[in-house]
Amino acid sequence: MSDGVGVACRESRVGAFLNLRGDAADPGFRNVAASVTGVELPVEPCTWRRHAGHAAAYWLGPDEWLLAMQNGVGVDLESRLRDVLDPRCSVVDVSGAHVQVELSGEDAGKVLQKSSPYDFDPRNFGVGRCVQTVFAKATALVAAREADAFDIVFRRSYADYLLRWLEDAAAEYNASDGRSP
Amino acid sequence: MLRIRCPYCQEARSEEEFSHAGEAHIPRPANPDASSDAQWGEYLHLRRNPRGPHREMWVHTAGCRRYFNVLRDTVNYEILATYAMGERPADEPEEGAL
Amino acid sequence: MSGQVRRLASGGRINRDRGLRFTFDGRVLEGYAGDTLASALLANGVDVVGRSFKYARPRGIVGHGAEEPNAIVQLGSAAASVPNLRATQVELYDGLEARSTGAPVFQRAVGRLGRFLPAGFYYKTFMGSAPLWMASEPLLRHAAGFGRAPTGADPDTYDRMNRHCDVLVVGAGPAGLSAALEAARSGARVLLADEQAEFGGSLLAETRPLGVDGATNWVDKTIGELASRANVELLPRSTVSGFYDHNFLTIVERRTDHLGLVSPNATRERLHRVRADQVVLATGAIERPLVFANNDLPGVMLATSVGTYVNRYAVVPGETLLLFTTNDQAYRTALDWRRAGREVCAIVDVREAPGGELVAAAREAGIEVIAGHVVIEAIGRGRVARAVIAPLNASGDALDGPTRRLSCNLIACSGGWNPTLHLGSQTGVRPRWSEDAAAFLPGDLGVRALCTGAVTGTGSLRACLEEGALAGATAASRTGFGSGRTTFAAPVIDEPRGTPARPLYLVPHARPVSRAPKQFVDYQLDVTAADIELAAREGYKSVEHVKRYTALGFGTDQGKLGNVNGVAILARALGKTIAETGTTMFRPSYTPATFGTIAGRDVGEFFDPERHTPMHTWHESKGAAWENVGRWKRPWYYPRAGETMQQAVNRECLAARDGVAILDASTLGKIDIQGADAAEFLDRIYTIGFRRLGVGRCRYGLMLREDGTIFDDGVTARLAENRYLMHTTTGNAEAVFAWLELWHQTEWPDLDVHFTSVTDHWATAALVGPRSREVLAKVGADIDLSRDAFRFMDVREGEVAGFPARVFRISFSGELSFEVNVPAQHGRGLWDALIDAGSEFGITPYGTETMHVLRAEKGFIIVGQDTDGSMTPADMGMDWAVRRNKPFGFIGDRSLVLSDHQRADRPQLVGLASADGDTVLPEGGQLVDDPKPPPPVPMAGHVTSSYYSARLSRPIALGMVKGGSKRIGETVYCPLADGRILAGTIVDPVFYDPEGERQNV
Repeated sequence: MSDGVGVACRESRVGAFLNLRGDAADPGFRNVAASVTGVELPVEPCTWRRHAGHAAAYWLGPDEWLLAMQNGVGVDLESRLRDVLDPRCSVVDVSGAHVQVELSGEDAGKVLQKSSPYDFDPRNFGVGRCVQTVFAKATALVAAREADAFDIVFRRSYADYLLRWLEDAAAEYNASDGRSP
Repeated sequence: MLRIRCPYCQEARSEEEFSHAGEAHIPRPANPDASSDAQWGEYLHLRRNPRGPHREMWVHTAGCRRYFNVLRDTVNYEILATYAMGERPADEPEEGAL
Repeated sequence: MSGQVRRLASGGRINRDRGLRFTFDGRVLEGYAGDTLASALLANGVDVVGRSFKYARPRGIVGHGAEEPNAIVQLGSAAASVPNLRATQVELYDGLEARSTGAPVFQRAVGRLGRFLPAGFYYKTFMGSAPLWMASEPLLRHAAGFGRAPTGADPDTYDRMNRHCDVLVVGAGPAGLSAALEAARSGARVLLADEQAEFGGSLLAETRPLGVDGATNWVDKTIGELASRANVELLPRSTVSGFYDHNFLTIVERRTDHLGLVSPNATRERLHRVRADQVVLATGAIERPLVFANNDLPGVMLATSVGTYVNRYAVVPGETLLLFTTNDQAYRTALDWRRAGREVCAIVDVREAPGGELVAAAREAGIEVIAGHVVIEAIGRGRVARAVIAPLNASGDALDGPTRRLSCNLIACSGGWNPTLHLGSQTGVRPRWSEDAAAFLPGDLGVRALCTGAVTGTGSLRACLEEGALAGATAASRTGFGSGRTTFAAPVIDEPRGTPARPLYLVPHARPVSRAPKQFVDYQLDVTAADIELAAREGYKSVEHVKRYTALGFGTDQGKLGNVNGVAILARALGKTIAETGTTMFRPSYTPATFGTIAGRDVGEFFDPERHTPMHTWHESKGAAWENVGRWKRPWYYPRAGETMQQAVNRECLAARDGVAILDASTLGKIDIQGADAAEFLDRIYTIGFRRLGVGRCRYGLMLREDGTIFDDGVTARLAENRYLMHTTTGNAEAVFAWLELWHQTEWPDLDVHFTSVTDHWATAALVGPRSREVLAKVGADIDLSRDAFRFMDVREGEVAGFPARVFRISFSGELSFEVNVPAQHGRGLWDALIDAGSEFGITPYGTETMHVLRAEKGFIIVGQDTDGSMTPADMGMDWAVRRNKPFGFIGDRSLVLSDHQRADRPQLVGLASADGDTVLPEGGQLVDDPKPPPPVPMAGHVTSSYYSARLSRPIALGMVKGGSKRIGETVYCPLADGRILAGTIVDPVFYDPEGERQNV
């Protein structure tokens, strides 16, 4: 077994998740969304942006984003956004749909390699990138938070399965739940 | 195991992220009621199945969930082009060795 | 260790300080760390390692790597036992237990019959005789194979690792090492895999210096540089087993096998799933054996293998060596043998006038070179004792003089080289025959893979190093690293000048092939030259057919030794060239892989993910029996102590009909639909209209495929002017979501509408029964629950039990019902509150079985149970849900008027009442009109749903009967497998409350 901690996995507390649809080419839409959430919508595919300690916005598709807000209540944020957004946009509270965990440690990348066919090497997946991909036998959104630290968002109904999967995959790297590296 | 470039995510991903969605560029008749049973049956069931380059739709199921077009050689599985819905590939080879 | 009679006193890459004890077929033997099982067996003087598959002839070790056909062993016993391993690839560890496998089992089963089995025996014997095959099959199946699969659960763990690299180098011999080094120096991400524990390949047995270094020093320095680079990963003990489309390769890494059999805390084998931009195949070549009579006697080996055992393992597998060769390179083995202090009886060289520098060296060493001769037969009992040699004529197809006998107990053979081109062949690229190289070479692998070194037919070591470096630089530059030019300076190596080889694929015997002692081509499956000639005589012309008829190359070794000789023998028999005859293709896996490696961690709890609702742990604590619905775990029923399933379901049904009951409906698919054109879109997707549905109202819809058949159904609610919530069936949630996106993205992108899956966001508790309103009122809801304010098919938003909620007054049971939705994080809280509030009303949790009974009593269909993908709305009596006059029409609309969909005799949904009022008809039971008809029996239909109804105190069933809607009151029959024939009366499918009043109480 290696010295020190290989991988730590802990559940992150996220106040609300919102699914947002709109025209990425419309600066008005992006500005309005940013004014409510405090974070810019990334337009570059497979990237994410954050306002530290406050909010994160993940690119899901050319007109789709996932917003993760540290504070606030999903339904309230949904109605605040709907009030200011063009009716051609869509906003949906999906706070209950997702579970987020942080996977960190020098071997975190190896746990990802066991779980997904995506290339998580830092050369390909630097800080600021995010990807929706196959994860074990489910799917997940993985975001590079910093070197050797990743946020993973997956569907709540798969949480029991995926948390056990991550624990199993991390076991050989001397993982310990909730212990930071 | 194919490697497919998603024109929306703008990177190549492994086949397991995608699902095949049938032959591409089959327009739905604008007025179905005006088509004969034979025409409608052709739209429903007849597909080209060429030996060689073939236009097909794929969907990035585990990724951005967008449908897009793939020009794939059915002999050697080479992917000659992928392109967004509503587009045609820039360099258009002859389809199928009919 | 005195038992190691054939171990040299010094030399080799073994650790003599670490002696290891092991057993083979019960004998206790000893070897050293660094040995393979094969080298240790040879060191101990073990000649016979198994019996052959068909003829039960004694067999010895032939090779030293993946090519070994004979030394197939089974390790260990019980659950951790591993069959079908090549002793040449098993690293020795202390306590290793090995058994020989294969033939003895076959012999017990088939007796001595095997001696008389010619090629095609099975085809000829069994094709025309089904009874004989039926009687023999279990025996033969039992006898087949190499070893026994363990019967217990595998105690080891296996897993998978996905990998990406710019350049994958396969093989760490001279070409692979220099390729990896050059690619690594360019900065590319390099992965280097080799099946052996030590990198170096043939260099590990190389006696010549490389420049100023010994060969192994050069290897150590190269590995040292590679290991120090962050852009390089090294995978020893890793066999690249498969090469698939788009440069996807699989690598089987054996992580613990060298430590012993069971390693509970570590992964035994890891399957690396590699996506490489470029692949460099430096897989080397395997020596080609020579085909002569009795060439399967123990003591007949490959020349390189003899050299490898001497140099790398310090083992001399015999005393007196006879070298039989077609080429110069093999002379090294005789020189190595002499250097080891052993006797060389002669070198028998096929060529008339061999004259290279190695030949001269052998002569100088005093070794007799018998030119223009061949070994036509080996003689001995259990091991070679003598060789029969004779001069060969100029065309190579007959003898040209008298035979004589030489005494020797080891015959090292070299018939040239077969490039290890399996991986390239796996991609579908046919190997091509090269007359110059006298070998099949890899075909053109295109721009994403390169072959280098001996696999391309290169013989010189220096050339292998240089070509490898160039291949590494080329591959790297194709991925954007480096210029493609190499700075590699190959070390100076003594490369003796040689004379050309003289290929020989079948050594003639004094007697014709069919009468000579057996001349083996494929050792593992006992295929002889005579078998191949027989196949040709019987009319087989395609190499693929001959392979299947004779079993040539069908063994677990995939014919690594025998294929080329076999093809050449076939070519001659057919009067064709080898190029015209061609070769068979290779498939993954290069060497056999364990099932564990393929399964990885997808076993046990990880085999198929379970999806859980937020209330899962509550159901668990109440001892729910589970039903799997897709990946969801849903409570099936909640048995109380002493209850049968039927009793539990009866109790749950009556509670829902008479009091109040609660169902976890969280698994239903839910899709949020927003946009100015949401109504238009729904109109096109559903058979029914949504444009005029009021805000706060719900409507049931049927979704059709374009061919008019039912795809899904469910209730959709209008939450706001431009916002809807669609419910789908549990199993179809993802398919429906993809269906909506398909039509929107590909056909109607102009419609302003967006879809978001909210299946996981909402937890749903369905409160069902005449007292459900009271429970909801008690738990606290800021919604007017009165009958007139909150009507059937209304949806309301508000707070329930303090949680933000949406409540749907929809009903899948026919009873008064409130489906309460809260965000999933509050699901358990809501559920607990409802159970608590309902206790005074006797609230009863119910599962999917009761849900099914309740809906069947009402004649509600379940898509996928009552429908099978061929049914239209009319077939299900649901024309009321179809609006055929919408402006745009809907998906499937046009198909409904196809003539076949209008037939009067289509199967139609009916209710079925058991004639005896007591017996539940079996679901899936076939229905016929005539109880005792002569065959063939026309089918009238089948039973789709069938239950005992506690409310009605009798069985009820739904079924599809041809023309059934006009046959109410008629009797149909359901014949059972046990001979009973049940009768059923066709009735209306609505069994209970046909007026639908109960949902409005």
